[in-house]
Amino acid sequence: MGIFVDIYDAIMNFLIFFFSTWELAPWVRGIVGGAVIGGVFGGALVMVYLERKFLGDIQSRIGPNRVGGRFGLLQLIADAVKLFTKEDIIPANADKWLFIGAPIVALTSGFLMVAVIPFDLLVIKGNEYALAVSTMDVSILYLEAVSALAIFGIFMAGWGSGSKYSLLAGFRNIAKMIGYEVPLGITIISVAVMAHSLDIVEIVKAQSSIWFIIAQPMGFVVFGIALLADVGRIPFDQTEAEEELIAGWATEYSGMRWGLAFFAEYFHAVVGAIVVSLIFLGGWNGLPLIGNLWIPGIFWVIVKAIFVMMGMIWVRGALPRLRIDQVSDIGWKVLIPLAMLNLVWSTIIGLMWA
Amino acid sequence: MTHTTTQITSPPKPSEILLHLGPQHPLQPGPFLLDLKIEGETIREAELKIGYIHKGMEKVFEDRTYIQILPLTDRICYLASNSNNDVYCRGMEELLGIEPTDRAKYLRVLTNELCRIQSHLLGIGEYTTDVGFLTMFIYMVREREGIVSLLEAITGSRLNHNYARFGGVAHDLPPGYKEMALKTLGELKKLVKSHDEMLSSDSVYLKRTKGVGVLTASQAKELGVAGPPLRATGVEYDLRRVEPYLVYDDLDFDVITQTDGDVFSRVKVRLLEILESIYIIEQVLDQMPTGPYKQNVMPYITRPAPGEVYSRIEDPRGEMGMYIISDGSDKPYRFRIRGPAFATAQALPPLLVGTYVADVAAIAASMDSCTSEVDR
Amino acid sequence: MVDENADNEMVDGTRDIIEPPKIDRTIMVALSETFKDGVFDVDVPLPNRAVARIDPGRVKPIMQFLLDNGFDHLSCISGVDHPPDKMEVVYHVTSYSGPLVIALKASIPRDDPKIDSLCDIYWNANWYERETYELFGIIFNDCPYLKVLLLPEDMEGEWPLRKDYAGYPNPT
Repeated sequence: MGIFVDIYDAIMNFLIFFFSTWELAPWVRGIVGGAVIGGVFGGALVMVYLERKFLGDIQSRIGPNRVGGRFGLLQLIADAVKLFTKEDIIPANADKWLFIGAPIVALTSGFLMVAVIPFDLLVIKGNEYALAVSTMDVSILYLEAVSALAIFGIFMAGWGSGSKYSLLAGFRNIAKMIGYEVPLGITIISVAVMAHSLDIVEIVKAQSSIWFIIAQPMGFVVFGIALLADVGRIPFDQTEAEEELIAGWATEYSGMRWGLAFFAEYFHAVVGAIVVSLIFLGGWNGLPLIGNLWIPGIFWVIVKAIFVMMGMIWVRGALPRLRIDQVSDIGWKVLIPLAMLNLVWSTIIGLMWA
Repeated sequence: MTHTTTQITSPPKPSEILLHLGPQHPLQPGPFLLDLKIEGETIREAELKIGYIHKGMEKVFEDRTYIQILPLTDRICYLASNSNNDVYCRGMEELLGIEPTDRAKYLRVLTNELCRIQSHLLGIGEYTTDVGFLTMFIYMVREREGIVSLLEAITGSRLNHNYARFGGVAHDLPPGYKEMALKTLGELKKLVKSHDEMLSSDSVYLKRTKGVGVLTASQAKELGVAGPPLRATGVEYDLRRVEPYLVYDDLDFDVITQTDGDVFSRVKVRLLEILESIYIIEQVLDQMPTGPYKQNVMPYITRPAPGEVYSRIEDPRGEMGMYIISDGSDKPYRFRIRGPAFATAQALPPLLVGTYVADVAAIAASMDSCTSEVDR
Repeated sequence: MVDENADNEMVDGTRDIIEPPKIDRTIMVALSETFKDGVFDVDVPLPNRAVARIDPGRVKPIMQFLLDNGFDHLSCISGVDHPPDKMEVVYHVTSYSGPLVIALKASIPRDDPKIDSLCDIYWNANWYERETYELFGIIFNDCPYLKVLLLPEDMEGEWPLRKDYAGYPNPT
């Protein structure tokens, strides 16, 4: 196994050396960023496929099984072809620019989140290089801020569609997210307090001995629930409740415009899963006590993220949808007090560690 | 509740909007238009507009001979086609003055109970998908498949059975049916019990259903509902017990009731009724007498004596009645269908007032309405 | 002794209040005695069925009497057309505590079909009356919302279940 790590390190070593000296490095970094976005996009595709198959297993059905062999591997391609060839309808009542802009805003928010996500940490000649498009001191706060942009995207869609269902969904989304961004933020702060840094790389490094899911399990639960609400999955998918609001804010979208909006959701879910794996599940640190097992860190991140995604799908298969007032109740009356409690707990533990 | 009207009386104020649910909407079993006047997420007034698949059956039946009507009664509601056949045949038997053979009575009870099971399974399934619980829907449809196969083995068709005849039934049981049925029903019993346990312990599901859409016994009586929504309020009103028809007075069964009258209780009543129906079927299969399953002579042209009859039966959804007036010819003079879903659909708007938009799906689906039968 | 009697009286008194009215065919006797000229042709063809004709002008007090005597479930309202001169409204009234179904028939003139609405007495009469109205053209006085229910709105006035209905869309 060691040989793979050596090869991997050698390639990364070369790339980092090459880019850090070359004067066109910013451009190349942009290209790498595009590649990372593409990678996460691929991750979203994997999640869609996984959702269909895994949810199918939970619900005792087969899932896609025609296009692309008996496992339906090409189903997504077929869906994309279908979406691209559908008529693009902008309703007469719609506010055109808001309507067009909404999926773009939602997807952009996802893209911007990817920029600061580190996938691995390479130590070359004593220097540490995070495998990220961009590193910054406050990357976790940036992540939180940028992810909130998607709320505007959904509200733009809800308002701009000129449909009552979409409008209700937009209202629901705002009502829900006001309640859930707060515990999300508090939990992130308690993680940062424990790691003594707002930088995701430092947060992951702080988990080399013990994962934060073990150090603050309550924080993990709160963050997990708030994240489910953030990415709008059952039981928190009130914004696109099919049986009540007919897909909610996406009611009026069609063709690839709907595809973009749909994909923005999965993109958010994938990024959310990666963030959970980074700030609670030890990121590239492998398993606690056992270590990395000579597997490159990026694979650990991906494997952990896939587990988180499967957890999300599992929740979807196991739970009905909550009502919007109950969602707000849980947010304000349960999650925020728990998040505060967790902040106190993590502050105490963090100070003791320091 | 007394003075609650069933229509929207005034145009929406600036703080309110008028939301049209339908005629095509994912929550609905069929097309109807539910207009809601909402303020925020709270429903202020509701109005149900039906008739989108009005088939004019009562008029059509006046122009068909009695035998020709028989297959058409299936189409009143495809989930209760057996009950509809049965109520029609019972009415006709009264008009004609004949009595079904003993074996036919047991066979009709058997198919009626199977029909009730599959209707309840799909009803619960539609309901759970309306609260966002797709998994249970697919489980329910999977379980229903076995029951539909049992019905198919007797009647030859999966949905519109057309099984009952005047004074008998169309076919006898296929060989080896008892073992097949007991095997399927034994599995179903276990599965339904586990689903019941799952639904009774799921905290999110309980949050969505407990105390939602509450009907008290007196309100339910005033609104004129029957069937599971009424029994969920604690009223022991089941025509199988109140007015025992066929061989129900020889069979041992309980009338399932719950006390809360909310959405949860209605679904619970259906789940427990499935178990009770399985129990009835087990008795029927044990006690099934031998003998002819139909009358020796079944005339194609039936001319009952002038007169009238109101026959009714406990449908999966409540009280199904047919009022047939004969003038001595081979066609009915007047044919009135009193469907249970019509009564429950009428009771829906008053139930919705004051609830949230998200509860509309839960409440409407828990009443288990069948648009095809409402519109006829 | 005195105390026991008092107890018995109290028990009897409460039982009178709690015990539901009897749902059997004796109601037909009571009905025809109470409304001597309003109820006629009483017949009990089957143990659980009773039929009577009623005076259309007194449908409301008759129904109120039935409701007060435990017949709390209006099962159905049907219209029947008897050309050339009369129409019938048939009320099927039953109870949530017994099997007896009473069919009450009110004959009304065909050229001026009007009868009182029962919406004040039985809440669920509303839709049945609307349906009977749109199919037969029978007007229910004081029905709060007498509009078409099942038919499209442009078919109001066609009265399709009348025996002389010529067909749609060729009303001429």
